[in-house]
Order: sequence, then C-alpha cells, then structure tokens
Amino acid sequence: MKSTYFRFFPAVLLALSLSQFAYAADVVVISNSSIIISAGEVKDVFLGEKQFAGSTKLIPVDNAALQAGFLTKYMNLSSDKYNSMWTKKSFRDGLTPPAVKQNDAEVIEYVKRTPGAVGYVSAAPSGVNPVK
Amino acid sequence: MVTAREENVFRFRTKGLLALLNASIACMLLAIPVHVQAADSEGVPLHGFADAGYAAHSKESTDPKGFYIGSFDLYLTPQFDNNVKGLIEIIFETTSTGEVATDLERLQMGYTFSDNATLWGGRFHTPYGYWNTGFHHGAQIQTAILRPRFLDFEDKGGILPAHMAGLWASGKFKAGDGKFTYDVFAGNGPKISMGGDSLVQAPGTLNINTAGDNNHQAMVGFNLGYEFSGMADGLRIAVHALRGDVDDDANLTFAATALNKTELSMTGGSVAYLENDWEVLGEYYRFSNKDKSGTSGSHSSWADYLQIGRIIGAVTPYLRAEKTKLDQQDNYFSMQESGQSYTRQALGLKYELNPKASLKFELLNSKFIAEGARLASSYRSLLAQYAIRF
Repeated sequence: MKSTYFRFFPAVLLALSLSQFAYAADVVVISNSSIIISAGEVKDVFLGEKQFAGSTKLIPVDNAALQAGFLTKYMNLSSDKYNSMWTKKSFRDGLTPPAVKQNDAEVIEYVKRTPGAVGYVSAAPSGVNPVK
Repeated sequence: MVTAREENVFRFRTKGLLALLNASIACMLLAIPVHVQAADSEGVPLHGFADAGYAAHSKESTDPKGFYIGSFDLYLTPQFDNNVKGLIEIIFETTSTGEVATDLERLQMGYTFSDNATLWGGRFHTPYGYWNTGFHHGAQIQTAILRPRFLDFEDKGGILPAHMAGLWASGKFKAGDGKFTYDVFAGNGPKISMGGDSLVQAPGTLNINTAGDNNHQAMVGFNLGYEFSGMADGLRIAVHALRGDVDDDANLTFAATALNKTELSMTGGSVAYLENDWEVLGEYYRFSNKDKSGTSGSHSSWADYLQIGRIIGAVTPYLRAEKTKLDQQDNYFSMQESGQSYTRQALGLKYELNPKASLKFELLNSKFIAEGARLASSYRSLLAQYAIRF
C-alpha cells in the first residue's frame, strides 16, 4: 500500500504541473487593431495603471473562462487579490474595473469592434493584434 | 419660550428627519443607475461599504459602550467619456447621540490628460500620508477597526483637515524600475468651529469650509512618493507637506478669547509595504505652526504611528502604536477638542470570512496627557466589528 502512494503522488504532481503549464500557456492577449500593446504593459493595463496608448483610451476586458490562467501567467495574482486591488483602485481613483465577458467569442467580438479594447483568449483570431 | 435644551432636542429631531429624508432621496437616486445597469451593461455600478460593531471600555472612559451601527457608505464612479470621470461618495452614519447623519464625503469631477496626470475638482480626501487616501471610509478594506486617532475624520477626533474642497492634480511617472507619484493640491483651508455653526458640526472641531473659505487664503500641499518594484515591490515611501491659515471663530461657548489665526505648517513622510503577506504602514507629521493673531510665536508639535500586520491565510494579526505631542500653547491644537497629546497601543486581529466580509477584534490602551486645562486620563477598550463591501 505504501509503495502505491509513493508511485501515485509523483504522478499526480507531474500531471498537475503539466496541466497548470498548459492552462497558463493557452492564454493569448489581444488588442484592437488600432493599438499595439507590449507584453510588459499588460499588467499595467489590467490594473488601470496604463490607461492610454497614444491618445486612445485603453479598455481592458476580462474573460471569465480564462481569468485564472491569465492572472497566473501575466499578473502573478490570485483572483481574490485581483478583485481586491480593483475595489481599492475604484474607491481611491474613481476607475472602473474591466468588464467581464463570458468566453472567447464575446471577447473577440468586443475587441474587434471597440477601439482601445484589450482582452485575452485561448487563440488569437485574425483581425486583432496579438500581444507579443 | 423655547429653552436651549428644547431647541437642541428640536434640532436633533429635525436633523434626524432630514437625514432620513436625505437617505431616502439618495437611495432612490442611487437606485436608478442600478436599475439602468440591469438593463444596459453601460450603466454606472453602485458599490459601497457597511459596518457594525461592539465596544467595551474600562470605567475611566466616557466613550459610548455596547453595540453600535458604524457607517453605510455608497460610491459611484461614472465615466463620462475617455477623459472625464467622476467619483461620488455618500455616507450615512450614526452620531454619538444615535442620530443618523448624512454626509457628501466626496464629490470629485476629474479630467485625465494622460497616464501621468489627472486633475480633480470638488471635495476630496486631502492626499497627505498614506491612510487618508488609502482607505477613505472603507472599513472593510482597512485591517484595523479604528483609524489612527489623530488621522481620523474631523468629527471623529482627527486634528488634520481630512477633507478639502478645491483642486487636486495627481499622477505617476515611470522612474527607473519603479514609479514616481505626485499629488499637488490647493483649496479652502479649514476653520475651527467653536460654536457649533451647523447641525452636525460639534464645537472645537475642524470645519472644512465646503461652502467657501472664510479667510480667502488657500491651503496648499503636496505628497511626493516613489513606488519600488523588483526586489522591493510593494514598498512606497513618500514625503508630504500642507500649509495654510486656520481661524477659529471663538465667540460662543468654548472660549471667550478673540478670533485666533494660526498658520498651519505641516511636513512629514510615510512608508507603506504591502507585499509578501506583510502590511507595514507608518506616517510622521511635524507641525511648525505660527500664531498670526497673537504674540505666542511659533510652536512645534508632532504625531506619528506605526502599524505592522502579518497575513496568515484568512487571518491578519496586527499591532499599532501611535503617539502625539501637541503644544497646548498652539491655538491650532488648544482650540480643538481632540487636540490633546496622547499615546495609544492597539493589538488586533482581522478574519476574512470571504473577500468581501471581515470580522475584526481590537484591544486598545489609550493614555491622554495632562497639559494646560486638559486633564490626564487613561482607559482600555475592547472593540469588535463586522464589515462588508459590495
């Protein structure tokens, strides 16, 4: 029985590690074709620290289906801490938190039609700027 | 003939009715955006805070004991276009006599020029130190139950103008790996109301002159900081200053002296570290006030606090020490009811039931120093608070 545990735990840990890697890796940040955002600016955009690209107002949108992976990969934050930071940001600076879209299709549709929009999806479609 | 007592009772009853009326109107008005939002995602969300609690004090204290309703705070952050925004905060809170008072805490209209600059106009929280603009009236987002006493709001024992009506420029610039932050502000200076010149203004408290400056001399100040990143991510250090003339209208009950004018001159600094499950907050204020109406000259005073908390899962135990040394020859402090020097130590614990609801317990040891006409006193308190945000 003991040896079964020893074989089982490393396998589970490995599976969890790989699934986490795959989970985080399948998030691609995209922006409206009118703007270009760098990967280093994504965190500031989604925390309201960077609000403009040139004269264009940036409008970040969250994707409920991928939020956990996005927060891990790009923000190094938990969902609770991200929401808490936005509560304080809104209360202190009068900023509005990103709107939450439910899935890739909603995010893509919104980002394509909204100048300044920045979102994240599982695969970048055509007609938007993928963030590199 | 109406006696003073009867008049006070009438005032309080009128104030209560007005507060309830205001609350009803505000709720109706604020309900509109909520309704709009339900039908249209472009509506303005309504958010807020609320808290209630229990207080027990040793017999030396005259503070109210038992259960209490704290405050019910509502705020809106409308965005009018890419650059124009607003921040509106209304609070309903009970006074020490149990009345419900309504206050328009913040009414700010802002214009964002770029990532580096936003200009606000209206009534805002004066951006000195960290606490005053870090937590505002949001009990749930602050770890401790009470603010440091000297940094409390004007009607709760604070000795500084926590609010201001005027203009405020704010922004950040990338500087090295971190960010340089600035706040520069100018507005109506406060006066010290000695006679209680409004229904909610108690004698000996700062009146921030929202309706207009009584001495037509602006109060100005700044808060310059640096937010570190990398190894020191989460650390912010800043320096602040505030200067302006403060009059007291000593003509009724509190003192028989003539009008005093004091040049309030405050400098100091703050440090905040909020990372790696630590919360360290410290602020220092030094006053070099000058008597401009009398011959008592200049006076030095100071106030500071240090709070350290450690986040362990849902629990955050914390310690705080605060101390003030306020010169009683300085009219600015001697005319304020809460201008007495004191020391206070707090030991507390915050338990997060979930990210939006917290239960807090706090033990306090307060000691007030005998100076001038003020008597020494000391007492201990046990406080509990249930705070939510939505």
